[in-house]
Amino acid sequence: MSFPVLDEHRLAATDAATLRLLNGRTNAWAELDDVEELRDRAHAIRMQAIDDLDGHRDRFVAALEAAGGTAHVCATAEEARATVTRICVDAEAKLAAKSKSMLSEEIELNSALEAAGIEVVETDLGEYILQLAGEHPVHIIAPAIEKTAGDVAVLLSAVDGAPVEPELEALAQAARRQLRRVFERADVGITGANFAVCDTGSICLVTNEGNGGLVTALPRVHVALLGLERLVPTLDDLSVLLQLLARSGTGQTLTTYTRLLTGPRRTGEEGGPEEMHVVIIDNGRTGLLRGRYKEMLACIRCGACLNVCPIYRKSGGGAYGPVYSGPMGAVLLPLLHGLEREPGLPHASSLCGACTAACPVKIPLHELLLDLRRDLVGEGLVSRTERFAFTAWSFLWSNPRLYRLSTRLARTFQPLGALAGPGRTWAKGRALPSLARRRYRDGR
Amino acid sequence: MIRVQLFATCLGDLLFPEAVADADTLLRAAGCEVEFPRDQTCCGQPAFNAGHHRAAVRLARQFARVFSPDIPIVAPSGSCAAMLTHRMPVHYDVWELSSFLDHLGAEPPARNDGLRLAYHSSCHLLRELGVDEAPRRLLERTGAELVPLNRPDLCCGFGGTFSVRHAEVSVAMADDKLANGGRADALVTADPGCLMHLQARAAKTGAVRVVHLATALARGAA
Repeated sequence: MSFPVLDEHRLAATDAATLRLLNGRTNAWAELDDVEELRDRAHAIRMQAIDDLDGHRDRFVAALEAAGGTAHVCATAEEARATVTRICVDAEAKLAAKSKSMLSEEIELNSALEAAGIEVVETDLGEYILQLAGEHPVHIIAPAIEKTAGDVAVLLSAVDGAPVEPELEALAQAARRQLRRVFERADVGITGANFAVCDTGSICLVTNEGNGGLVTALPRVHVALLGLERLVPTLDDLSVLLQLLARSGTGQTLTTYTRLLTGPRRTGEEGGPEEMHVVIIDNGRTGLLRGRYKEMLACIRCGACLNVCPIYRKSGGGAYGPVYSGPMGAVLLPLLHGLEREPGLPHASSLCGACTAACPVKIPLHELLLDLRRDLVGEGLVSRTERFAFTAWSFLWSNPRLYRLSTRLARTFQPLGALAGPGRTWAKGRALPSLARRRYRDGR
Repeated sequence: MIRVQLFATCLGDLLFPEAVADADTLLRAAGCEVEFPRDQTCCGQPAFNAGHHRAAVRLARQFARVFSPDIPIVAPSGSCAAMLTHRMPVHYDVWELSSFLDHLGAEPPARNDGLRLAYHSSCHLLRELGVDEAPRRLLERTGAELVPLNRPDLCCGFGGTFSVRHAEVSVAMADDKLANGGRADALVTADPGCLMHLQARAAKTGAVRVVHLATALARGAA
């Protein structure tokens, strides 16, 4: 399962956008007094919740219910889909307006709702574009990163049959006009949740478009999907994470909108939904609570590791699968789905370590990839040929005489190297390295 | 005299013996007594990075039989030095060549006067050992003018077995790095892995010359 290189069009779009985001992060980090100290604090805050997920979840649920909200704890994607569908059916919903949620992609919510006869419309611009195109997101914060203004103009023009100019302002206007109709009619608003605050029972929503506000304020019912691990003990802790999230994702100090939502509309209040449901979803997350893998639960989904990854930059998000991608996807997906289902992803990295250096919460991403590779071997998920090759090689090279003999033979049979196996793959596009006639040791 | 143990690395021994000889020359010129433990083979990184820890342990044992933990070990490779620094059960006093030379305040000969050189920061030297200034300083001391690379943080695409498992992406990454270095007279790197990969691609495309740092310092990159 070798990753392909994107076509020229998508490559150029991805290159430009990831570079802009990564420069944004570099500049924003440089403006902080002590980014290392902040990253350490953020890491500690995340690990505090991860080391006691049950306790933090119980505190959050109690605070949410005290604020009039309803919590639903779901172990699996199936349970979560059924729960959200039931909430929508109970609300007699015909139309659900969604703001961006990668967790909803993870649990494949849209198709479940549509099967129940509920129309679902994505209102985040990038997600809306992808819904029109019938495609999956290829970046966790910039889902339509491979689309150019021209691509988007074609898609938006097709909605009303009226041509839209491929200029940012015109595109935004057209999408706004088209989506306004959705906000006005939607019975249920569905969002993700960047964080949930245990002390107050609030969920925090971080967006750059006004859609998050409309989705949570206009429909009668608000459903927020919360990854079990996105719990934060206090508002002070939240402020530490917020200082890093937008800076690491887009280079902004804060996103345009940072919303704290605490329960549904209270008596006397004019805005807000009548019901607020928070669906807390595990879907394999507690399976990460072993050894060093639990570090991956610290991820705040900023996308910094994608933007800095040279493999993501060449292959795009689609190569990793339909939801998560880049280094965080390469680590998370095998842990959520099982290595046997994702045996290729731990190797989708040159181990350059740029991801680890870019991670605001200091997840040792490339180290976790190494751990996963070790587990692939340990669980017998590598080919017999590969296992045999490394075993034989290690026996030969842990003996100096056999090292000398094997490398001498390799030199003799060198011209055959390009005929089969790894040598043949290497030789597509590259010259085979030539072994020196005299090794260094021969000249000493 | 400072006693050092020279670790040629397997790629150095087998593919780039001249670069290892240049490293030896530089160390001697900087006042070192250079020992070459004859039974050395490989640090085991290819196996370790591919997840084959048992195989890697065999190589680590061989390394431990050959090298003394009490005498500095110098390797003309950032990647092998990082492996030895971070992954071995035994603590060794390991140095990548340029960081050791810089530490000694070495003054390599002015063999690069008037040359415009680009330095490729190999990932493991840059991010696992945090070394980036030493090789640049040394190159400048030889009279070279350093041409900045666009996106110096980007990997050249080697990555051990990655270069074969994801060959198409690996080659595309090499092309970027080579195109980037195209404005210089030569692209210099401190890692035999990057050197092997970039030279192999450049041989097919006729891109910029790629030279090991030890060679650039000892004999000039021209």
